[in-house]
Amino acid sequence: MKKSLYHILYFISLGLIGFACNPLQLDEIEDPNNPSVQSVTNNASRSQIQFVLTGLESRHRGYVTNVSQAWNTFGREIWYLNASDPRFQTDWLGQGGRVPDRSYFGFGITGGGSYFAPFQAILQAQVLIDAARNTNSINEAERNAIEGFARMIQGYQFMIPANFVYENGIRIDVENALDPGPYVSYEEALDHVRSLLLQADQLFASAGTGEFPFTLTPGFNNFNSIPALRQVNNAILARANAYREDWQGILSALESSFMDLNGNLQSGPAHPYSGPPDLFNPLFYVPDADINTIIVVHPSVLDDATPGDNRVTEKFFERSQPVLVTTDAGTLQGTHQDGRWPNNTSPIPFIRNEELILLKAEAHAQLGQTSEAVEAINIIREAAGIGAYSGGTSQQALIDEILYQRRYSLWAEPWGHRWIDARRYDRMDDIPTSYDQGSIFRQFPHPQSEISWDQYVGD
Amino acid sequence: MVKIYKSAFFLILCLIISTGIALAQYTVNGTVTDNRTGEPLIGASVLVRNTTRGTVTDLDGKFTIPFENNEAGTLTISSLGYLSQNFSVSPSNTQVDAQLQEDATNLEEVVVTGLASTVKRSNLANAVSSVSAKELTGTTTIQTTDGALYGKIAGATIRSNGGAPGGGLSIQLRGISSLMGASQPLIIVDGVYINNSFQRTGRATVTQAGASNQDDGANRLADLNPNDIESIEVLKGPSAAAIYGTRANAGVIIITTKRGAAGQTKVSLSQDIGFATPLRLMGVDDWSEEKINFFWPENRRPVELERFRQGVRIDYEDFFYNNTALLTNTRLNVSGGNDKTKFFVSGNITSEDGTVRNTGFDRYSIRANIDHALTDRIKLGVSSNYIQSNTDRGFTGNQNNTGASIGYNIAYVPNYFDLRPDESGIYPTNPYFGENPVAVTDHGINNSEVNRFIQAFNLDIDLLRTNTSFLRANVAGGLDFLQNSTMVYLPEFLQFQRGQANPGDVFLGRQESFNTNFQAALVYNWNLGKVNMNSQGGLVRLDFRNNALFNRGRGLVPGQTNLQQATIQEIVQQFDSQVQEAGIFLQQEANFDDKIVGTVGVRWDKSTLNGNPNQYYAFPRASLAVNVANFDFWNVGAINQLKPRIAYGETAGPVAFGNTFTPLSGANIGGLLGSVVGTQVGNTEILPETATELEFGVDMGFLNNRIGLEATYYIKSTQNNIQDLRLSPSTGVSVSPSNEAELQNKGIELGLTANVLDMSNFKWSTRILYWQNRINMTRLGIPVYTLGGFGPALGTFLYAEGFSPTTIVGTPADPEIPGGFTVWGNSQPKFNTSMFNSFTLYNNLEFSFLMEWRQGGDNINLTSFLTDSGGTTKGWFDDDTGDGIPNGRQRPPAPHNNAARWVQDASFVKVREVGLFYTVPRTRVLETFGGAVQNIRFGFSANNLFLFTDYEGYDPETSTFGAQSVANNVDIAPYPTPRRLFFHVNLDF
Repeated sequence: MKKSLYHILYFISLGLIGFACNPLQLDEIEDPNNPSVQSVTNNASRSQIQFVLTGLESRHRGYVTNVSQAWNTFGREIWYLNASDPRFQTDWLGQGGRVPDRSYFGFGITGGGSYFAPFQAILQAQVLIDAARNTNSINEAERNAIEGFARMIQGYQFMIPANFVYENGIRIDVENALDPGPYVSYEEALDHVRSLLLQADQLFASAGTGEFPFTLTPGFNNFNSIPALRQVNNAILARANAYREDWQGILSALESSFMDLNGNLQSGPAHPYSGPPDLFNPLFYVPDADINTIIVVHPSVLDDATPGDNRVTEKFFERSQPVLVTTDAGTLQGTHQDGRWPNNTSPIPFIRNEELILLKAEAHAQLGQTSEAVEAINIIREAAGIGAYSGGTSQQALIDEILYQRRYSLWAEPWGHRWIDARRYDRMDDIPTSYDQGSIFRQFPHPQSEISWDQYVGD
Repeated sequence: MVKIYKSAFFLILCLIISTGIALAQYTVNGTVTDNRTGEPLIGASVLVRNTTRGTVTDLDGKFTIPFENNEAGTLTISSLGYLSQNFSVSPSNTQVDAQLQEDATNLEEVVVTGLASTVKRSNLANAVSSVSAKELTGTTTIQTTDGALYGKIAGATIRSNGGAPGGGLSIQLRGISSLMGASQPLIIVDGVYINNSFQRTGRATVTQAGASNQDDGANRLADLNPNDIESIEVLKGPSAAAIYGTRANAGVIIITTKRGAAGQTKVSLSQDIGFATPLRLMGVDDWSEEKINFFWPENRRPVELERFRQGVRIDYEDFFYNNTALLTNTRLNVSGGNDKTKFFVSGNITSEDGTVRNTGFDRYSIRANIDHALTDRIKLGVSSNYIQSNTDRGFTGNQNNTGASIGYNIAYVPNYFDLRPDESGIYPTNPYFGENPVAVTDHGINNSEVNRFIQAFNLDIDLLRTNTSFLRANVAGGLDFLQNSTMVYLPEFLQFQRGQANPGDVFLGRQESFNTNFQAALVYNWNLGKVNMNSQGGLVRLDFRNNALFNRGRGLVPGQTNLQQATIQEIVQQFDSQVQEAGIFLQQEANFDDKIVGTVGVRWDKSTLNGNPNQYYAFPRASLAVNVANFDFWNVGAINQLKPRIAYGETAGPVAFGNTFTPLSGANIGGLLGSVVGTQVGNTEILPETATELEFGVDMGFLNNRIGLEATYYIKSTQNNIQDLRLSPSTGVSVSPSNEAELQNKGIELGLTANVLDMSNFKWSTRILYWQNRINMTRLGIPVYTLGGFGPALGTFLYAEGFSPTTIVGTPADPEIPGGFTVWGNSQPKFNTSMFNSFTLYNNLEFSFLMEWRQGGDNINLTSFLTDSGGTTKGWFDDDTGDGIPNGRQRPPAPHNNAARWVQDASFVKVREVGLFYTVPRTRVLETFGGAVQNIRFGFSANNLFLFTDYEGYDPETSTFGAQSVANNVDIAPYPTPRRLFFHVNLDF
């Protein structure tokens, strides 16, 4: 008995020692699921830079779903019918006198896809720049190419929050997460956009003339050389210059862009969607599906269409059964759905040749260069199959025509063109509310989180 | 090395042997019986006061105990369920006839207070609630252990998330201790830290309801067979739970399972057969041509009128929910043993359907609890439990676009349209919503299968035993391995699926968690004059590992659920986590003659979750109880116990895994993988949430403990409460965990137990509990914010200094209130009270019932919002105001457009448990079965028999977001709570 007792105690003590030399010793536990941000900001390898670069392309499209659904609703290019949540109708259409507040439905306390997502892309671009600057694994030209790409995306993305909150202004000094700078005016924000795009232009200029040194997604097919990216950058600058009302600036930017008056109007870089593990195209809906959550064409777009316009037949798919959604503010009926996407992995372009030609028309019209303006308008009209422009050639008439063509050429692109166009030409009243008894928002207040942050640091 | 151990053990062995040598000078003999029945008490404990010597009574209730000198002494005689008594003995007084009285008020109950020690309830300085097996499962059969705790613990707010089979309950002890997570207590079963998480199922992903907190999953305490439980102790706050350290902020629930006793082998077979029906349904509104013309837009009216005139009327609530579910439970227990080895083996098959077709809960559990004395001084106990739980919870609750929620969907379907399949089995397209809910109920799958193994061990070694002291080593620990396979499936032929590019959706999850814990302690019991001292110290080690992998397949081959039969195959989530914790504890108890009992202790903990994983945090405690009635001067006969007590303690709540990380997440795009900066900036200096609690109260016993009263007041203050600091979104990141907030919970807990009548043929005992808690955010530290629910337009919660975070605010704006919205309610109940009564007639017929009354506390009732939108709320078209606008479009308060329309008082009274049991007289059993059967008992019982409430929903207890600290009262088309009725038969062999 004694012996077995001895043995048992012996094995127990051995077991205790074997359990762990010291049970109070804890292992160092690192994130088992993700690398850390710090891992790329110092001495990143080429592959790490590639991953952060692709991450930037991913962040670059973060705005698409929300901006497409919401801003195009604000501009009454579409209705986003959603039977599961009436607020997509009541709140987004401003029914019953609703006006955007700091945590408005669909935007949350950060401003969501219309505000926070673009700033995520801007941060991602900054991390990419930091990674590229703090490593020896790439050469100077490659560094310039990377930084040029990052600055280009930053320039593009800054325009989104700027247009969302408009006169309320945005922060442009955002590099320190714990010490963001003050709000600047819309004009100053767009000057910052221009400055970023000019930097990008310079950087691309010192990055050689070959292929972009890292892999871009198929969204940049045909635009993945340094010169082509430089053209994309200038195309973005042309759009920014339109908002800056720098008409001459538009023309000079277009000179260096991929605008091609005789080329394919659809040509342009895009956000790719290839399905899992990637996302699906968020704007695609199966034709004629028996569903009650769907983007439909706003009836005013159908009512105002020119007979025979190819864009109407190409972009709008007429359903056999309309979609009907009832809320306590009434019923909305959609007869046509978005027909632009062949399938749920179609890429979504973010700037196209068609827009560049329209920008050219607009700049010429604004500069009083009537014939050049009409020439550009006619490229669009001919393509749409509605013949040459025969209307008046006063500046007012030309702008009317250009804005009308923009409604159909740029219909429901992930930008909310009509909403922004109506605001910059002070024509918010032209956007019809009779179809839904709603109201047209001019701009959004700063989201709640911005106010909270200012309070926090003010305390 | 080995040599050192050898010598140490020889030393210990020598000590052990030497202590046994002594000479008896006189011997005391005695018997121990029940004072009412006169029956001998077998196995009663006889201890010589202030020594470690003792014995137990034999089969005739007799004992003999030798004394080694001629000094007088005191014997303390006790038996489980009886009040202990003291007897003076001396060489001239060697005969003891102890008649013990039943312990109606549980004063003798032994309560776990340290990690390796226990204390008698009558000496306890904290309000620790205990629930015995009889209290837990003696009245009726309840699916899950937490469900069986309703109304039995003062200070516990237990809330069911819905009525789906398989559990899903939240327990909050003494209010809210944490703003993040769910503020749920730590649960320890036989010393094993078990996983009680709500695991992801994917239902909310497939139905597009939202994040996994809208899955309506079950919490995994559901796996434990409640009938295996011997007792549950609830340490409600830091003052009692300090010795548990880092994980004890929200309290600790200590579950002890049944064990064998020496003696004849007992075989017990129990069978329950029952059925469930919905506790409450609201009804749906009827339609008229007038209502159709009002409700539908002009161009839609003809088709609606045509459908209406076809004459079909279907009450969809009744159709989907009002089914009778069969409930069966089979339990087999075998227990017994001898002096050396004791065993308890149990098997349980629970098979319970739900009231919605194709839902149900099956649980198979086997358990073996073995105790073995290796020697007189070494005792080993092991507890092994394997469980398989299989749960089908169906499709209820929130959804978006998919229509895959019965209640959400039928809120929009008028009763004149027939959704049922035609003769050829074709389901009509639902023109009112994106899906046919009949088809989803018939063919959708929302299943979770858990395989689980819980193993505990406990080793006690008496190292040293002298006349007045002993030293004991305790080594204990165990593991909990849990594997959960989930499947959510919507087949390709469903209406919504047909409208998708890739019809058919299957979401498969595999989750594994593996917890291990280990503790080693030395306990030294010694005497300092008349003061009995219990000193203990030891160390604790905890390890938690979780792995989860979720895959999704869309575009399925008809009828197939294998991922390789999917066009689109997707890894939705892989998430691994690992946590290690270690602690050291010291505790000193001092007991002066059961008159003054004091405890001081401290625990130091560190955790890999903290910003600094090597920093020890100290959690001290101290408590004092004075048994005034045990002093000689006490001469108030009617009051036999008067114990003022005070206790203080500190604990912590763990930091969530990942709070210290600033991750680069993976993001696939266009065939490439990107690394993207996440939304969180990790806080590498994050501290655990800490709480301090001061608790004081008094325990009283009247009329020889026929009446017991327990009154407690507590103030629990938490510091370093973690909440997300919102960063400026312009910086591209949105949150960083912060330690700024502080909360205070204050409350009262009262308990009154009484043997109202105690006659030989009729007994009536009662227990009334009352508790209330008030929460206050004493410091916010970051700007005021609202969070939870579905935003201010539908009711959300206010986080502001001076307010309870349970405050419900919403539109319209009110600039007077921080956060800028109007205050419309508070989800915190004003008070809870429960009453349990038990009546026994002729010792054979027993009737008992438990009622609970929860007063106050508001819900956000969005089910009403949905049915009002769809015109299907019962009475929608009535017009109480007579202004031509029906009620459904004009919910108060005016102007009928604010969040207050959906904030409703959720007060209720529930008759939780009712049982009527008859035990066949033993003589009759023996006559009939001649010893083959020892005992026969049968009865009827009910669970959730009645609900009384003004709330306009199936159950005022509901939470579409599952267990949450705060937003746990949002009602969206839940699974209706069942009323359960049972017939029971119990045979002992």
